[in-house]
Amino acid sequence: MFLFIIKRLLQIVPVILGVTLVVFLIMQMVPGDSAVILAGEGASKETVEQLRVDLGLNKPMHEQYISYISNVVQGDLGNSLKNNQPVLDEILIRLPITMELAFFSILITVVLGLIAGIISAVRPYSYSDIGVMVVALLGISLPSFWLGILLMYVFSIKLQWLPVAGWDSTAHIILPAITLGAGGAAIVARMTRSSMLEVVGQDYIRTAKAKGLAEHVIIYKHALRNALIPVITVVGLQFGSLLGGTVLVESVFAINGLGRMIVDAIRTRDIPMVQGGVLVASLVFVFVNLLVDTMYRVFNKRIDLN
Amino acid sequence: MSKDLIEKKPLLQVIDLKQYFVLKKEAMFQTKQVVKAVDGINFDLYPGETLSIVGESGCGKSTTGRSILRLDEPTEGDVLFKGQSLPKMSKRELRNVRGNIQVIFQDPYASLNPRRTIRQMLDEAMAIQKVLPPNKREARMLELMQHVGLRPEYLERYPHEFSGGQRQRIGIARALAVNPEIIICDEAVSALDVSIRAQILNLLKKLQKEFDLTFLFISHDLSVVRHISDRVMVMYLGKVVEISDKSSLFDKPLHPYTKALLSAIPVTDQTKRGERIILKGDVPSPLSPPVGCRFHTRCPFATDLCRQKEPVLVELEKNHSVACHFAKELSS
Amino acid sequence: MMNEIVLEVKNLKTHFISNKGTAKAVDGIDFVLRKGETLGIVGESGCGKSMTSLSILRLIPSPPGKFVDGEVLLNGKDLVKMSNEELRKIRGNQISMIFQEPMTSLNPVIPVGEQIAEALRLHQGLSRKQAWDKSVEMIRLVGIPSPEKRAKQEPFQLSGGMRQRIMIAMALACTPEVLIADEPTTALDVTIQAQILEIMKDLQRKIGMGIIFITHDLGVVAEMCDQVGVMYAGQIVEHRDAKDIFNNPLHPYTQGLIGSLPKLYEDQEELQIIEGTVPSPYDYPEGCRFAERCPFSTDICVQKEPSLIQYGDNAKVRCWKYTNEWQDSLAKEVLKS
Repeated sequence: MFLFIIKRLLQIVPVILGVTLVVFLIMQMVPGDSAVILAGEGASKETVEQLRVDLGLNKPMHEQYISYISNVVQGDLGNSLKNNQPVLDEILIRLPITMELAFFSILITVVLGLIAGIISAVRPYSYSDIGVMVVALLGISLPSFWLGILLMYVFSIKLQWLPVAGWDSTAHIILPAITLGAGGAAIVARMTRSSMLEVVGQDYIRTAKAKGLAEHVIIYKHALRNALIPVITVVGLQFGSLLGGTVLVESVFAINGLGRMIVDAIRTRDIPMVQGGVLVASLVFVFVNLLVDTMYRVFNKRIDLN
Repeated sequence: MSKDLIEKKPLLQVIDLKQYFVLKKEAMFQTKQVVKAVDGINFDLYPGETLSIVGESGCGKSTTGRSILRLDEPTEGDVLFKGQSLPKMSKRELRNVRGNIQVIFQDPYASLNPRRTIRQMLDEAMAIQKVLPPNKREARMLELMQHVGLRPEYLERYPHEFSGGQRQRIGIARALAVNPEIIICDEAVSALDVSIRAQILNLLKKLQKEFDLTFLFISHDLSVVRHISDRVMVMYLGKVVEISDKSSLFDKPLHPYTKALLSAIPVTDQTKRGERIILKGDVPSPLSPPVGCRFHTRCPFATDLCRQKEPVLVELEKNHSVACHFAKELSS
Repeated sequence: MMNEIVLEVKNLKTHFISNKGTAKAVDGIDFVLRKGETLGIVGESGCGKSMTSLSILRLIPSPPGKFVDGEVLLNGKDLVKMSNEELRKIRGNQISMIFQEPMTSLNPVIPVGEQIAEALRLHQGLSRKQAWDKSVEMIRLVGIPSPEKRAKQEPFQLSGGMRQRIMIAMALACTPEVLIADEPTTALDVTIQAQILEIMKDLQRKIGMGIIFITHDLGVVAEMCDQVGVMYAGQIVEHRDAKDIFNNPLHPYTQGLIGSLPKLYEDQEELQIIEGTVPSPYDYPEGCRFAERCPFSTDICVQKEPSLIQYGDNAKVRCWKYTNEWQDSLAKEVLKS
């Protein structure tokens, strides 16, 4: 297990190199010149040229990339082109907000998804099963920005139960977290259901019944633990799309998180900011994946042996 | 048949065959793990005979069959078919020889393509081995179906339309289609119900006589082996522990493992069975087989010698060889 | 010998309903099991022997399975009429089961000791500690070395033989009155099978439970059973003392079955075979279900279904051949030709 974790940590290096390179190339390719944008409208040619030299944008691409990477290794993500503040400082303010949002969203994904999946699987093809699966299908189909606006309209504007936007109190977390977690919850629900139905048909469930155990013991102790093994993988994958989703949800609910920061930076061609944001988001994703794989092994010890 | 074996030339010779499998490494610093599935075995297969390989799971009996056919490439050793080395052949040469050595597996369903009718399957088998020109194949197919006891109209059906016993007949027909000299039967009747099994065993015996076939019969079931074989080879953890004429092996087994194996079989006639020898424990893992005699961990007669020195296969009686340090003492 | 009856099954019928129709998997089974006795139920695949064993504890999934008729009396109390709750108190306590596949019948993620202990806590009200200790003791009893260590392991760390021993330990933990063993050694190698059979006999002597032993292996029947019921097409066709059935089988199917076994201690040129195949459970013939394959079949066999009739003191057979009607029917056929 220890060796496995070390091995996985070493694999992070090429992943990070790849991510930064791709982001770097994309930012070079998109139309628009950061020096022009930064200098503002009507700035003279000389000012723009001067800016370009100051920012090192006149150097060849590979030199720019190499100097960027060597700075990153030293913990320097560069300064924002917009306000010349260190990118890292900005990220450290934004990241906790996004992580909080992601945490509550994934909580909703897992808890809601599991409960719905179990309800479905216990009485397959019953009305409760069909009901849950219809809602789950909706959850998968609805785009999150639309769901966000819908929730906002119903609970904040019409009912006035919850705040519309921002990130000040616990009440502010609820709607964005539901918006972001709903799609995942639907997928987890469907996965839990099919996994449970498969497990319930296994020989060891028959053994448990023959032992005289009550139905709830069979479901929660004997079936669920086995059924969770594939669900863990799905939750891990969900986390990736969830990080992507923060970009939209933070925009809809006007939350100053990492996602929104990246979007703003892209708009202003603030390359160091974009790269820093994406880099940190990738790191988070890689670590979460490692965590999921480790959990998978804890739950399913047979993998260790084979 | 076995009496005149010595005068006959072997059809197939297996010489010091080894088949190792290297397990995938799990962690970086782990030592390489090697399963010695077959670990240096020798035997000859004579024309027209049935030689059975028996043993429990993990003894290497099926692997032996696969190595001979090069379904797994043997690690070491040689297999001579009429004096030609199979492991040294090129793929093309091997394909030409394969028509002479056919195989029937345990699960006929898994070895039959579900999307092909029986006609297509037989036709393909004949086409690959170029046994007959296309215009003569039809007659041959009808003949084959008759030989294995299937109705001619079944040629147009798909494997899923047949019962287990019928599928095994199809497997036999496919093997026969290319006029083989040797058929390797790998647990060919193990999955069948007793009444169906009897039909297939009778069929195999009948076909052997009609077509002068040589069988290498791999099975874990000793009563089936007794019925079908001329000679029997007993394997344990990748080694041959005993090889003998059938009657000699069943009437007077020499290796303690063979004795235990025979005595463990539940029989309907309780009066005929000798005293039961119950072996302790499980078969050790082929990943780390015991040193010395591989059977010593479960052998009731094991001594220090057995724990240190590996016994070699010795012909103790005529056509009856055994690998046990104390075979002579134990048999008297 | 006349021990008291613990389990009595009367006219048990379990059918399976699907879009293909109704499959009469278990179609009128009767037997009694006495204390300390082993009853073998033997037959080929599809004859309904496993379904019979599962029906006793109502473990057939429904749908598609459907209990149609019959009584299952444990010490006179009918399991069929019990509520689920009452039945749960009997499962694993007074009647327990072991299954064919030791590889898949244990929960892969729960330590084997706990899988035994949970039944003890449930049925005997033991504390966690007591149940665990008893569980380790059971593992020792079934002959697994270092039981304290093994109890903490999960099934994948044990060999097939050890897992089946664990299943036995689990089934016997609450000293049941009836043990139903459904092909418990079929998936095991012969030397391991011999160990398991020995353990079962040994524990039967100690605990005194009655065993229903489901198997396809007539050798195992000879080895283990006092009584034997031969099943064919959902019904028992012959019920005998095990010691008699091999010397003098009555039913033509039993005769064919025994004849088709290769003998370990003699050479045979050819094996006896039973012609034809088993009829489909969706569409059993009107008369005797074996008539089509039977060498002794006459008009009456094809027309009327035989019942399980008493033959001598200790035998029952479902065959017209042992009746006067058959003699008449045969005579008529002879006259016609």
